[in-house]
Amino acid sequence: MRGAVTDLRALASASGEDMPPSALEDLQRIFSLAITLEEQLAAPSTHHDLMNTISAMRGYAEMLQEDIGAQQPALNDSLTRLLKATENASVGAASGIAAQRAPAMAAEPGFILAVDDLAENRELVARYLSRSGHLVVTAASGAEALRALAESDVDVVLLDLMMPDMDGREVLRRIKANPDWRATPVIVISGSQDMDGIIACIEAGADDYLFKPFNPVLLQARIKAGIERKRWHDREEQYRQQLERNEKFIRATFGRYLSDEIVTDILERPEGLELGGDLREVTIMMSDIRGFTSLSEHLGPAEVVAMLNRYLGAMTDIIMAHNGTIDEFIGDAILAVFGAPQRRDDDADRAVRCALAMQAAMQGINADNAAAGLPALATGIALNTGAVIAGNIGSERRSKYGFVGHPMNVTSRIEDHCRGGEILISDSTAVKLSGRYTLSDRRELEARGLDQTVLVHRIEEYRDG
Amino acid sequence: MAEQAPILLVEDNEINCEMLSRRLTRAGLSVITAADGVQALQLMASAQPALVLMDMNLPVMDGWSACRAARQNPALKDIPIIALTAHAMETDRQSALAAGCDDYATKPIDFPDLLSKIRRLLPA
Repeated sequence: MRGAVTDLRALASASGEDMPPSALEDLQRIFSLAITLEEQLAAPSTHHDLMNTISAMRGYAEMLQEDIGAQQPALNDSLTRLLKATENASVGAASGIAAQRAPAMAAEPGFILAVDDLAENRELVARYLSRSGHLVVTAASGAEALRALAESDVDVVLLDLMMPDMDGREVLRRIKANPDWRATPVIVISGSQDMDGIIACIEAGADDYLFKPFNPVLLQARIKAGIERKRWHDREEQYRQQLERNEKFIRATFGRYLSDEIVTDILERPEGLELGGDLREVTIMMSDIRGFTSLSEHLGPAEVVAMLNRYLGAMTDIIMAHNGTIDEFIGDAILAVFGAPQRRDDDADRAVRCALAMQAAMQGINADNAAAGLPALATGIALNTGAVIAGNIGSERRSKYGFVGHPMNVTSRIEDHCRGGEILISDSTAVKLSGRYTLSDRRELEARGLDQTVLVHRIEEYRDG
Repeated sequence: MAEQAPILLVEDNEINCEMLSRRLTRAGLSVITAADGVQALQLMASAQPALVLMDMNLPVMDGWSACRAARQNPALKDIPIIALTAHAMETDRQSALAAGCDDYATKPIDFPDLLSKIRRLLPA
């Protein structure tokens, strides 16, 4: 093509003076079309664009021949050569060079495994597909194909059915039986128009089929569809793994503090992943073993830890059973919250019932302690309801879901006043209760560090459901 | 030929449009042009061309849709349409005929062949 154009340029400049202006204009058009064509052949461009350029070149060259071919035999010959070159280019384009460049054919390059026992078939397919920018590996047998699959991340398998040793159907069966390969699209190629065989393959998991001799454009289209399928699957898989990671993260972050029910609730809410800080009303629970510090002084460290773990383990189970969120253990003290990360209407009631259950459980714990020769424990529990800021609090390296706010301090002050076996609730918790409880010993607490007194009640029992 | 209604050439590629309309004019045909499917349908209705040469790959509305629309319109359904496409596949020819085209020519255009197809479809 370039040779033909250079020739034409030389002729045009030599005989330019003898040519009518309109012919010179057409020549100029042909030159610029030749440049366009070269650019299109060098860069990815659509088959349609390419054919438009070739078509226009051919049209102008033919018109020029009609106009001045008779007077300019050299130019006429040169145009004939150019026409021949454009024809070759268009045939080349139609047979595959540019077919993949058409919009419908433009494929994301993929990694194709072509399996065929005949060398010339492998070469043909490899040539078609590598022209379109695909990476092609070939395998001459089923065993080779399985090796190639194990070694590389294949996007699409092009599988000949008729092979000695292991035939295509067996290779297909093994691909679909392998969890790592199952998602890799397989296009089966049959030498005969054996529809029953093809149907059997599709039932066995083949994604598509071609009959020999296959049409290169059809091959490209099927490969493209196969690659797209694989990419979809890969993206889906990635997304699934991401979700799984998120879920694992949430379970790891909250699982120790929250009941499974709340964790599952959070995971099921789409906004559950965004646990930024927010102001919310919660019922705060603080409990403490009375006199634990002096008690522990008389015990060995191993006994202290064993006794604490037994106690905290039992309390954790009870709090989780009431859907409370354990914020932290500080020594023998427990800080738990009802109403975060998820608010429920019965937060205060659950907190009170939880406290009652915790006190009731102390009998069993103390029986175990007595049997182990350990002293009896008595715990005091304080409840208070108020608005706190809940969220992931801390530094980038270490953060936890926690709570800050004045109601936290108030709870702590109430807790200071609890005697062993006692549950004290602030009036703000009491007004939230909908169940019936026996309250007693209503009093105003003068707490250190607080400007105002706090009205508290003692909970004696839960009267009914 | 002077009495003949014009041929409508629908082609968005400027240089091809220019080239083809010149060649058609030189062959004694009168030519009007449109650059997309919608324009084509409008011109078909207003100018009642004797025949339409329609590139299939057009902006705004492609040739396939324009053909189908023309075939559904009682005023346009009898105007012959020759599809011009870049694809030489048998399936392309069939889908052009299925869309309501009367004939089919592949780019690069073989002009004498196109001319004989036009003459065959033009009313006597």
